[in-house]
Amino acid sequence: MAPWMSSGLIYASGLALTAGSVTLLYIVTRTFNFAVASLATIGFYVTYTGVALFGGLPYQYYPAVVIVGAILGAICYYGLNKHLLRRQAAEITLMMSTLGYDLVLLSFIQMYADFLTHSYRLFPRRVTMNIYDFELFGEKAAVIILPIIAVVFLTGLHIFLKKTKFGVAMRATIENPVLAGASGINSDRIYLVSWIISGGMAALGGSFMAMAMTGTPVMGMYAIPLMFAGAILGGLGSLYGGILGGFVIGMTEYAGVFALSQRFGPWVLGYRMGIPLLLMVITLLVFPRGLAGIPLFKLLGSLVGKKRGASA
Amino acid sequence: MLKVKNLNSGYGKLQVLYDLNIQVPDKGLTVVVGPNGAGKTTLLCSIMGIARVFSGEVLFEGSSIVGELTHNLAKKGISYVPQMGNVFAELTVMDNLHMAGYMLSKEEAKDKAAQMTEIFPVLKKFIHRKAGTLSGGERRMLAIAMGLMKNPKLMLLDELSTDLAPIIAERVMMEVSRMRDELGITILMVEQMAKRALEIGDTAYLLVSGEVRYTGKADDLLHEPELCSMYLGIKPVTGKEENFGLSVPEEGSEDS
Repeated sequence: MAPWMSSGLIYASGLALTAGSVTLLYIVTRTFNFAVASLATIGFYVTYTGVALFGGLPYQYYPAVVIVGAILGAICYYGLNKHLLRRQAAEITLMMSTLGYDLVLLSFIQMYADFLTHSYRLFPRRVTMNIYDFELFGEKAAVIILPIIAVVFLTGLHIFLKKTKFGVAMRATIENPVLAGASGINSDRIYLVSWIISGGMAALGGSFMAMAMTGTPVMGMYAIPLMFAGAILGGLGSLYGGILGGFVIGMTEYAGVFALSQRFGPWVLGYRMGIPLLLMVITLLVFPRGLAGIPLFKLLGSLVGKKRGASA
Repeated sequence: MLKVKNLNSGYGKLQVLYDLNIQVPDKGLTVVVGPNGAGKTTLLCSIMGIARVFSGEVLFEGSSIVGELTHNLAKKGISYVPQMGNVFAELTVMDNLHMAGYMLSKEEAKDKAAQMTEIFPVLKKFIHRKAGTLSGGERRMLAIAMGLMKNPKLMLLDELSTDLAPIIAERVMMEVSRMRDELGITILMVEQMAKRALEIGDTAYLLVSGEVRYTGKADDLLHEPELCSMYLGIKPVTGKEENFGLSVPEEGSEDS
């Protein structure tokens, strides 16, 4: 596999998870979560701490990554979001509150990086995580393992939302919070679980991305425009659209940079972020509802619906 | 069962209801009528913890429920069927029923859903269809079935006849009447189809600009010429019961 394609696949899998995290939280709580940036960075640092201090492979620390992300998501909900939602705060207020939380987390990340340097003589400010990877079928294992983990995680999420009572209650609350409350569904619990899932997804996405890009304390800050772009490209109203949007943005960045640098030279690298953002703008001009609004996806959705209806 | 005492409430800083006093007796059908913007929906929203209560009391079975969260009120046995958005359009009819019975155990919810499809046979046909694809009348039936799923002690019904063809609205009213007579449920119904609501109701309140203008027997309000013509836009009943000229078709026939 060409290097741009393998790196792109790893990076896009991570971006799909982070864009999915942004979308999930937006559709459930109306909160555009800036803290996804630092949550992604923390995901990387949990993996790095594991391999640097205890050895082994990055993958074995992913459960810890999800748990840490989930806990930090829950803290943000209990500390900030819950109170603002109760007061029916405007979307801009909800968004800016997560920016504040992100800056707090970023400060802790910087302190933690210093702590690793002073206490363990590590160099955590520029880390290439793929040196800890191994080869599988002649490729970096991450190229095969990470998309599989992403698909398993998202399949689990899909089953949770479609088949479990709590998952259906979550979809009901997303659609109509007043009726959900009147039905006895505790929206507080729904919001909390969405923060937990979203936090876990963001941290896991960050640890994926660090396998393709340099891990730094500001790597999340660097990638956040693309995380948001993925969510917006997906149409913001659909979790699956957001995940697909993140993946498309990630792959476009790598494919676009490769194709254009071959044609125009390496200076194109400096504008790498512009390529997927341009794609997002063009897509939204043609399909204002994003990927979820493209007739092809609607058609596929209705075909699946008909098939299910026929079998019912 | 429910007492509202000197209630002042609204949304944000906007006050809609002023010193409202209402009593909903056990196993009765209490009707609240009034012109648009009178605050009828706000009354139900205030009871359900959706609108903001500035002052006053709302007592359910003797204890105050002001400040309670909506899902806790559902647990206490109050069922609310909103005027708009009263079904989950993206969920199937079966999932809607199960969500309405969220507090019940899996077995209880299953039994209750089966019972609802017996009471409302029209739902059986569409049990695996998304609720958003149902017609107006079918949706309203589903909304009532969802309200009943919780084994409620008190049902709050918000303008069930809105946007329905007169003949379907009449069928919905008959279902409401049946819920009181056969299931013994206490009902507080807010309604714009004032004449029919007052005919089936026991107690009535006329709400105008956030204040109560009439309290008494529902049937008696129909004999108040000034109130009927000024606020309800209906002719007062002068002689025998009027025939609406509506024949209600059998359950299961097509509606829109």
